[in-house]
Amino acid sequence: MSQPQGAAGDGYRVYDATTLPANDNVNPYAFSVELDGQWFLQKGKMIAYYGQIDFHGIGHGPLDRLVASSFHSPLHASDWVVAQGRGKLLLADRAFDVNSYDLQDGNLTVRSGNLLAFEPSLSLKQSIVPGFLTLIGTGSFVAASNGEVHFVQPPVRVDPQALVGWADCPSPCHHYDHQYLKGVMGGLRAMTGMGGTSGEEHQFEFVGEGTVLIQSSEVVMAERDAGAVPQQAGVPGGGQGGQGGHGGQQRPQLPGQFGSLQRRFGL
Amino acid sequence: MAQFRLESSKVLAVTLGGGGDAVKAKNGSMVAYDGEMAFKKMSGGGEGMRGMVTRRLTGEQLTVMEVKGQGTCYFADRAADISLVSLNGEKLHVEASNLLCTDGGLRTGTSFTGLRGASQGNGLFTTSVEGTGQAALMSDGPAVLLRVTSQTPLQVDPGAYVAHQGNLRQSFQTGVNFRTLMGEGSGEAFQIRFEGEGVVYVQPSERNTLGGEV
Repeated sequence: MSQPQGAAGDGYRVYDATTLPANDNVNPYAFSVELDGQWFLQKGKMIAYYGQIDFHGIGHGPLDRLVASSFHSPLHASDWVVAQGRGKLLLADRAFDVNSYDLQDGNLTVRSGNLLAFEPSLSLKQSIVPGFLTLIGTGSFVAASNGEVHFVQPPVRVDPQALVGWADCPSPCHHYDHQYLKGVMGGLRAMTGMGGTSGEEHQFEFVGEGTVLIQSSEVVMAERDAGAVPQQAGVPGGGQGGQGGHGGQQRPQLPGQFGSLQRRFGL
Repeated sequence: MAQFRLESSKVLAVTLGGGGDAVKAKNGSMVAYDGEMAFKKMSGGGEGMRGMVTRRLTGEQLTVMEVKGQGTCYFADRAADISLVSLNGEKLHVEASNLLCTDGGLRTGTSFTGLRGASQGNGLFTTSVEGTGQAALMSDGPAVLLRVTSQTPLQVDPGAYVAHQGNLRQSFQTGVNFRTLMGEGSGEAFQIRFEGEGVVYVQPSERNTLGGEV
């Protein structure tokens, strides 16, 4: 602990260029990166830095090769910035909790809005699950969450709003409490809200080997554009997908939607 | 003299001893008190007619109230984190929106900061606090204190800047180039560069700034 000199600081810890942690949290809400080379940041997440650091928007230029090797979807690259140089860089996001994660030749899928920054040794790809991004390789990255992150082992069912991501590929699928929503009355209940719904009838279910990351709040961070996917048959989120041209048919039909009511009545 | 302490990281408790003891606090930030207190709205930041006109002209608006009495008064504002600063004759520069409470013995004023404010949309001016006593700052998330020395200048995003103290020169640094105009900017086009000797308070969050868009 370096004691503040003079009156400034008032007993608070004062950090300087040398005492700022290297690739660690300063407090739960700010993360310090020891930069020597390059890092990718989401736009607007740098709050302060020491040293010589340049920020480049991603587009055409000398960094094109680096960008091409780290980004596999050119369409969302415009949301990212390359920080280049030497120094200490402080990252934060609207006073949300931030944490760094190390991947050892691994993979982790994270909600697009939660990812703040990553090392170029990782490659960033769009997940097949719309709105999620997958990081593959070895290196570290920084992600934000609303409240602390908890790591749980599958099999587990997670509230959709609390899900931050998952690592090492457990299988994510939807789960509905059909017991509760069965029959005509259940359908009416879910559709009108009469008789009450708990709001917890739908979860994400994870099975298989891996780790699931959940945040301790159900406030979802605003989604970032993860880039469009090619409009092809069989690509989830690819717009007019399916063979028959039914765009919405790929999404799971919630019980209580009109389609299922029709089915219930045998229409 | 009023005694400041943190009841929690988000609630400030000020003990007033009666007599001439008074503090200036952000209007409406009192959450509870015990004892006898009187609250009086002060127009123009309690800086008299001249201060009022200056604040109106500079856009560095500060609506404060004077709290006088005997007992303990608690202040909080939208669950912002609070940091205490003791001043012994030094000058503290702070964003008006980040100032929660100052000792009655401290003088507040408006000072010109150069071009920094232009990117923040809250003017070219900042609030200065001077004298002997304590002041309480607010930040979105706990403030991080960063020391600036002559060898290690510091660059801060204007949206994360809260306050600074010491003998610091600030300059405005821009990375705007033709690519910014083509919509491929870095999102970090504007920074405030601090040089000299002192301490800068930054918050782990960014206000919405014009600079963040380009």
